[in-house]
Amino acid sequence: MMQAEPEKSSNNTLKNVLMGMAGVFIAILIFIVGITVGVSAANGFNFNGPTAFPEATDRTASIGEGTPVSSASGLNTALMNDVMSRLRSQWYGDIPANDKLTDGAIRGMVSSLGDPFTAYVEPQYAKILEQDMTSKFEGIGATLKSVTGGAIQIVRTFEGSPARNGGVQSGDLIDSVNGKKVTGLTTNEVAAMIRGTAGTTVTITLRRADHPKAFDIVLTRAAITIPLVTSKMVGDGTIAYISLYDFSQEAGNQLNAKLKELLAQNPKGLILDLRDNPGGYLSQAVDVGSIFLKKGVIVIERDTKGNEKTESTSGVGMAHDIPMVVLVNGGSASAAEIVAGAIQDYGRAKLIGETTFGKGSVQSPQSLPNGGQLRITIQHWYTPKNRGIHGTGIAPDYVVVRTPADELAGRDPQLDAGVDYLQTGKEPAPTAVPTVAPTPAN
Amino acid sequence: MFDGQDVMKKQRVIGFIIGALLWSLFLFGAGWMGRSLLSGAQASRRLPTITANPAANPILDEVWGHVRDNFVGNIPSDTVRNYAIVRGALSSLNDRWSVFIEPQPRAVEKEHMRGQFGGIGVNIQMDASGHIAMTPITDSPAQKAGILAGDILTGIDDYDLPAVPELNEVATRVRGTPGTPVRIRILRGSQKLEFVVQRANIDMPSTDWRIITDTVKPGFLVGYIGIHAFTERTGAEVKRALSELKQSGSQAYLIDLRENGGGLLNAAVDVTSLFVSDGVVLYERRHDQNDVAVPVNGDSAGSAYREPLTVLINGNSASASEIVAGALQDRGRGKLIGEKSFGKGSVQSIFDLSDGSSVHITSAKWLTPNHRTIDGTGLTPDIEVIRQVDEANQGKDSQLDRAIATLREQQ
Repeated sequence: MMQAEPEKSSNNTLKNVLMGMAGVFIAILIFIVGITVGVSAANGFNFNGPTAFPEATDRTASIGEGTPVSSASGLNTALMNDVMSRLRSQWYGDIPANDKLTDGAIRGMVSSLGDPFTAYVEPQYAKILEQDMTSKFEGIGATLKSVTGGAIQIVRTFEGSPARNGGVQSGDLIDSVNGKKVTGLTTNEVAAMIRGTAGTTVTITLRRADHPKAFDIVLTRAAITIPLVTSKMVGDGTIAYISLYDFSQEAGNQLNAKLKELLAQNPKGLILDLRDNPGGYLSQAVDVGSIFLKKGVIVIERDTKGNEKTESTSGVGMAHDIPMVVLVNGGSASAAEIVAGAIQDYGRAKLIGETTFGKGSVQSPQSLPNGGQLRITIQHWYTPKNRGIHGTGIAPDYVVVRTPADELAGRDPQLDAGVDYLQTGKEPAPTAVPTVAPTPAN
Repeated sequence: MFDGQDVMKKQRVIGFIIGALLWSLFLFGAGWMGRSLLSGAQASRRLPTITANPAANPILDEVWGHVRDNFVGNIPSDTVRNYAIVRGALSSLNDRWSVFIEPQPRAVEKEHMRGQFGGIGVNIQMDASGHIAMTPITDSPAQKAGILAGDILTGIDDYDLPAVPELNEVATRVRGTPGTPVRIRILRGSQKLEFVVQRANIDMPSTDWRIITDTVKPGFLVGYIGIHAFTERTGAEVKRALSELKQSGSQAYLIDLRENGGGLLNAAVDVTSLFVSDGVVLYERRHDQNDVAVPVNGDSAGSAYREPLTVLINGNSASASEIVAGALQDRGRGKLIGEKSFGKGSVQSIFDLSDGSSVHITSAKWLTPNHRTIDGTGLTPDIEVIRQVDEANQGKDSQLDRAIATLREQQ
């Protein structure tokens, strides 16, 4: 359908193209949790809270409208019928509800494509996923992750959020939500329980290390905007540092806003941290790229039918000339790789860190009549210099490794190298052999 | 509603089944099934549930339409897709034992359950350089045709082996309907040779047996029976083993179920019936139904062996092995010696589907004669003996030694 209307405002189209984050890849393996904001192994899933569907930004739904779906016969309903009749007469347990069986059938069918990024997102998760991509939802403003033993832990709370104001702390374990135990549930399921219309209350029962007993906290849900950017001045106040968590809908806006504050302090250099940034929307990669790159092609997209399309930066951005480095690592994927790849190709800045993830495919989300979502790999993308990075990743200009021991000790040799490079122009000495980035099968 | 007509086709597995993917890799030792009549009572059991056919849901067509129009990779064949749909629907049961088996692995599975396959009778083994060396079985078609131990396989019919072949692929190509010819191309030293071999029925015995002469008590003879799997031939094999061992003067018996992943439910009942004259071997519990006793096999009633008996088990003794061991333990017939067993307490029914594929469905839980469930927990041996890692290298078997000692004490 995207090929059918190539002339259509590319902006609209872009908005609907996801760069399927690496996080999704991880999530699919676990349970198709889909895209979430700021997903990374370290941070856990960013299912904060909100629930309903406040803004009804159902943009993705419009993609399929009016698009004729070619008939896909060839389904062997007789085979399935046979299996179902055996199940009905023999299966020891309870037969799952129809929609569960259908979910399974769709999941199975999609898996036959052998592409981990082409996935079916079940209806109950599709909503949360769409909310996360807008960075806006109604809830308590906390990030959750699953920990060993099936418990759900608070990773962090957002500044000014009901969770932060109500005394929820990082590391707290959620025992129950509104009296219902959450042990063994997925972060998605728990997020769905916590989210709800702004103004309503939710009771969270927490366990905390220094508390002998579980205790309740009653929180009033609010409209939350997920912060996607953190920043600080480093190098004795001479270098501006800005980190982007992902490329969801607000990425460009939030980056621009924060950058404006930073540049007002007249830094000598700028560090853009894309480490562990799993990607997001292609349109946001263009928006973010436009901040740092002058007008030009930022990415080339190709499908199997030989169609080729390019996206270009707008030519308008507030950081086209300031000396800059970009930090990347094996968790920098997809849209993050588009930005890093273009910056490297144009020689705009040096990349410091470790080889990136290597996800060079583009997914398009498709809303389904059952409320689920289908994410199809529709294109592969290439850097402005026509480099394909799928499965290989982007090698940084300067390899600097951050080991788990560094992280544990709070050391950040990659950031240090970036600061040093901007201040002295000295090339960082390679610290070690770069770690091997995971290779997505495709 | 289908039960009536399926009685003959239906087979029940109590096997240790890992799933379709691994399934095809098993050369021996995986899923087994037994023919057994249904208890007929559950014909209308699930009628209140009206379950739609997920493959008939129009959303599948819609999803596939999107995929065909937009997906940037290769589109799989209808067959691959349909199998994936069935597999996906089954996955919503959240039961690792309820699985879909494609036609080719299903054919292999059947051969294993039968304990016989159409082949030429060679063992194949891959060496470090990826060469496949053959060793013909005595009196097999391969040996009669002139294939020698150590011959390197290079081709099967018109198929040339790749640099690093897959054993499973090779085995499948060598096998076929008994009576049909297969052209085997080999390398013997530097010599290229070719043999046309007529395939025949090749037996896969499930049992081996021998007399063990006690080194402690002079003249004490123990009949050792190692059962590797419970196939269609296992009951008869164990019966023959017992008869031969008794004629050779066995005063006690030792059944070795270590590493036996299971097999046919009926074979487990047959074997148990050789040691217990009457009563219950296991109970079956179906959905929403009372436990149904499965009694000892009528044929052997009253003719069971009465000599002292011990049974060796370990963590890979599963399923049908646990039925036998659990029954003998509960009935006080023999002590279990070794390590805690695997703990698979469910029964699968296997149905052949129209295109040669099949579906395994967990249809019941089983319980020991004392109504114990072992699913997830396993059987605890009466005498625990942990096998040390280096025993095999030293030619030792502390579990076997302990089993013989126990039998000696009962003399």
